[in-house]
Amino acid sequence: MFRPFEKISRTTVLIMVSIQVIVLLSIWQSFPAGLIPSPLRIGEALGGLLASSLLWDNVLVSLLLTLKALFFSVVITLLFSYLSVVPFFRPFAQFIVKCRYLTLTGLIFIFTLLTRDGSQLKLSLLVFGIVPFFTTSFMSVIVHTNAQEFELCQTLGYGRWQSLYEVIIVGKADQVFEIVRQNFAIAWMMITMVEGLSMSEGGVGTLLIKYNKYNDLVHVMALQAVIFGLGLFFDHLLGRLRHWLFPYVKL
Amino acid sequence: MTIYSKGETLLQVKDLSLIYDNKCILRDINFSIEDIIRPGIQQGQVVSLIGRSGIGKTQLFRTLSGLQKPDRGQILVRESRPWSLRPVHAGDMGVIFQNYYQFGWRTVEQSLMLAAHQNKGLMGREAEAILEYAAQFDLSDVLKRYPRQLSGGQQQRVSIIQQLLKGSDFLLLDEPFSGLDVCVLDKVVNLLLKVSLSHEFKTLIIVSHDIVTTVAISDTVFILGKQDGVEGSTIVRSIDLMERGLAWQPNVQEEKAFGETIREIKACL
Repeated sequence: MFRPFEKISRTTVLIMVSIQVIVLLSIWQSFPAGLIPSPLRIGEALGGLLASSLLWDNVLVSLLLTLKALFFSVVITLLFSYLSVVPFFRPFAQFIVKCRYLTLTGLIFIFTLLTRDGSQLKLSLLVFGIVPFFTTSFMSVIVHTNAQEFELCQTLGYGRWQSLYEVIIVGKADQVFEIVRQNFAIAWMMITMVEGLSMSEGGVGTLLIKYNKYNDLVHVMALQAVIFGLGLFFDHLLGRLRHWLFPYVKL
Repeated sequence: MTIYSKGETLLQVKDLSLIYDNKCILRDINFSIEDIIRPGIQQGQVVSLIGRSGIGKTQLFRTLSGLQKPDRGQILVRESRPWSLRPVHAGDMGVIFQNYYQFGWRTVEQSLMLAAHQNKGLMGREAEAILEYAAQFDLSDVLKRYPRQLSGGQQQRVSIIQQLLKGSDFLLLDEPFSGLDVCVLDKVVNLLLKVSLSHEFKTLIIVSHDIVTTVAISDTVFILGKQDGVEGSTIVRSIDLMERGLAWQPNVQEEKAFGETIREIKACL
């Protein structure tokens, strides 16, 4: 367990991580009571939150917005990334990649002018925030495509569009899924930020802002734990889904 | 002595030169492959291109397959209707890469189907043809598997079937014997001979540095080498094994003339 590159069983990993978590929480609990709430108090607040419909209603709102944003982001990313192999469209994809250096805060007013309501504003900001990261990851996958994949297409007598379909669209479908999985975290992280811009529809971001406003750190931490847990759950779910849809990736 | 004659030209390489990074890699390559006619037999052609490592065999392989354009000269292949020679395009030749590359996201059956769909002659009976080939090449059990689940030998056979299903008369093989153990080597040799007998115009071009195995199954040998004081490799010697009575002999390696031919080839390298 303490040697480099040592392989350990799943059960050992589970026991080891459980012990590490317990030890860390115990150390945290043993700190003198101050501004930072203790794990036990957070646990109590978490129990209360989990039992309330307030949490689940807000989680549902955030999840729906995230999924909607992911869907539009994936569509836009794929469209521009697939087209990036055509020289005419490559600058568009390259520009999107560079857009990841833009800050959302400076663009909120522009987006407010361009959108009709708070719902659209949140969605468009999320999509704008996610697409450059998705496109950067997928463009990297396309650029690093093994040349032999195209050569095999050529030897099979494929045309260029046929090669694009086989190598990039079909051949990289599993990697699109992996990119979505990896970047889900970005969307989930941004959701709390954009929800603060239009609070009427609710969402975990709105809830966090409310608790923060009243300095209710116990509930802020409990909500962070929920957000963290949901993030891990979706990460695992998307990973499982990828293995199920593309069985060859685990070979 | 086996009776044979030579018919139409199937492939012609004319004054081919290839420059890479301002350095001449291949220079003035000229050779042609003719249809070999043997009474009562569908006899294809097996031609070997032999040369030392780093001599430019792979570049010549890529150029012949149409994957790389030569800087000078041309490669002409047989056009069946009307009977004529035309410049080679990528896709004209079946290519079997040294690492038997296959799409990792396709099962064997799907990969073979992709190739079969490219063959107009198989229209409507692609699945049937795949099953036939799979049975013939002992791959029926692995049709639902992905390339990563196959052994090296199975991957090689899948690559060969894929290119056969595509329907090309030419089959280019890059180092098909490299890294094979003795038992598998015999199987591969028999497999290639079987392919060469499957059609009159079927032409196997084997690029290899394994002289003994390659020459044993070939009817013609072209040796790629360098000439003193001149940059770039060229065909320094061609040997007609049919003329020497060394083609199509099952135990050719035991013959004295075979040993002499191998020594002659080695001297040219």
